Parts: sequence; structure tokens; C-alpha cells
Amino acid sequence: MRTLTRVSATVAALLSLATAAQAQSANINATAVVYQAMTVTGARALDFGNVFPGVAKSIAVAAATSGRFDLTGQASANVNLTFTLPTNLTSGANNLPIGTWTGCTNATNTTTGCTTFTPSGSATASAFSGTGNLFVWVGGTVTPAANQAAGTYNGTVTLTAAYF
Amino acid sequence: MLRCACLLLLALLGPLPLLGQTQVVGIRDLNFGPVIRGVPNAVAPTDPVRSGQFYVRHRIGGSVQLRFTLPTRLTRVGGGGNLPISFATTDAVAQGTAGSSVPVTFNPNATQTFNLVTSADFNIRLGGRVSPAANQATGSYRGTVTLNVTFF
Repeated sequence: MRTLTRVSATVAALLSLATAAQAQSANINATAVVYQAMTVTGARALDFGNVFPGVAKSIAVAAATSGRFDLTGQASANVNLTFTLPTNLTSGANNLPIGTWTGCTNATNTTTGCTTFTPSGSATASAFSGTGNLFVWVGGTVTPAANQAAGTYNGTVTLTAAYF
Repeated sequence: MLRCACLLLLALLGPLPLLGQTQVVGIRDLNFGPVIRGVPNAVAPTDPVRSGQFYVRHRIGGSVQLRFTLPTRLTRVGGGGNLPISFATTDAVAQGTAGSSVPVTFNPNATQTFNLVTSADFNIRLGGRVSPAANQATGSYRGTVTLNVTFF
């Protein structure tokens, strides 16, 4: 009888232990990095000048008439560059094919020593300079047909920049 | 008599959890990444990269009570400012690890109790939003999110 009493007491203690609520906790961090606002300016148009039917013409990024975007942002911050590029320049209902895009980035306003890339709808990683500047040049090639209609052709190149 | 009592004891202990089976772990930080001064930024709890994540393990048939301790401001690393942070009523999602488990959206600002039916363990993903002021000091900000779990 004494033994049974002891065992019963043990059972009661274990039951009490097993049914008691247990509490645990864990932590994670919430983090953010605040950057200054970014500016993106279309500083210079990509200008092919006069072109002739049947004769393709390319503008290199280092040329005086390459397109250029000037960006300011958080010093040394990483930035993704994404382009929306036309496949044709237009003059009324007429199209002038454009393609073979070329690009270059630099922390200073010179193409000397700039970093080349291929502009596209996919993001290209770059970074602002230590003073928060970034310059982006764009070149390309137009391919007039042999019977290309004369006229002034225009298109729009859009650069979207985002911190990452 | 003693043998009978021991059998009774084992039968009673059989389905009970062993201490140590229960677990809550912080898996991934809630990471807003770069945010721009004056521009609110939100992370959805379904974001596979930036949402915060906890892992909780108990036992099928058990219950867990979840209670977050959430910051209202992140503190600038090195001092010099606070960044307001808030959590909406749909910023937490719990999902068991069993293939048949369905995600359950809940309010991280309120205590929530789950009964574990199909999974003994589950993940909780947490979203939120920060609201930098137009003149917010640039830099890194950090705060702590605590998940308190009571196991029944």
C-alpha cells in the first residue's frame, strides 16, 4: 500500500509536468537601409545625324552624339539599370530599325575607362561613385532599308534605375 | 502491484511530448533592404527573400499560442534617428510543413492560437512596412522582432 501510494504520487507529478504549458521565444532582426532619393536625367540624345537608304550607321558610346543619362544617388550604393529600348525609330507610319545597343557607365563624366555593358530589359548592376554620381552612355545602330522613306525618325530610350 | 502501477505510468506517458520536442527558431530577418527617404516601403509576408521567418515545432494534436513583440521604430545603427515601422493585420502567414497544409494569414499584432492537425511543425513569415521621413537620416536601421510561443 505504501508502494502504491508512492507510485501514484509519481504518476501525478509526471502528469502535471506533461500538461503544463511550455513557453519559448526567438528573435529576428528587422532591418532597413535608408538612402537619399535618386535622380535620373536624360542629359543627351542619341543622335545618328544623317543616314542614307541601305547604309547602316552606328554611334559608339564614346562618340560625341551618343546618348547619355546622368544619375545622382546615395554615395557608393548599388543600383540596377534597366532599359526600355525601341526596335524602330518612327517617322509617321514609317519605321527605321534600330538595335545592336551598346552601353557604358562611369563614376565621372567621361567615357575613358568606362565599364561597358549591353543595355536591355534585364537589369545591369552598377554603383554610384563615392560622391553619389553615375553616368551612363548609350550607343546603337540604325539600319535603313534600301527604300527607306526620307524623314526625321525618333524613338524613346528609357532608363529605369533602382537601388538594390 | 508495483508492476501494474508501472504499466499504468507508461500508458499515461505514451502520447505525451518529450521535453525538447518543442522548438521556436528565428530563421530569417525581416529585411526591407534599401528604402528611399520619404517613400514608404512594404515587405509582404509572402516575399520569399525579404520577409522575416520563424520556425515552430510541437506535436500533432497540440496547440501553440503565438504572440509577437513588435517594434514600432527601428533604430539607426550608430545613433541619430529612428525609423517608424508598422505591421498590418495581414502581415503574418503561418503554414505547416506537410504538403497538404494551407497558409493561414493572421494579425501579428494580436495573440493567435493554432491547433496542430496535419503538421507537427510550421513556418511563420512576417511582413511589415517602414515609413521614412523626407528628412530621414541615411544609414542602416535595426530593430528586434520577438516571437513568444506557448506550447500546450
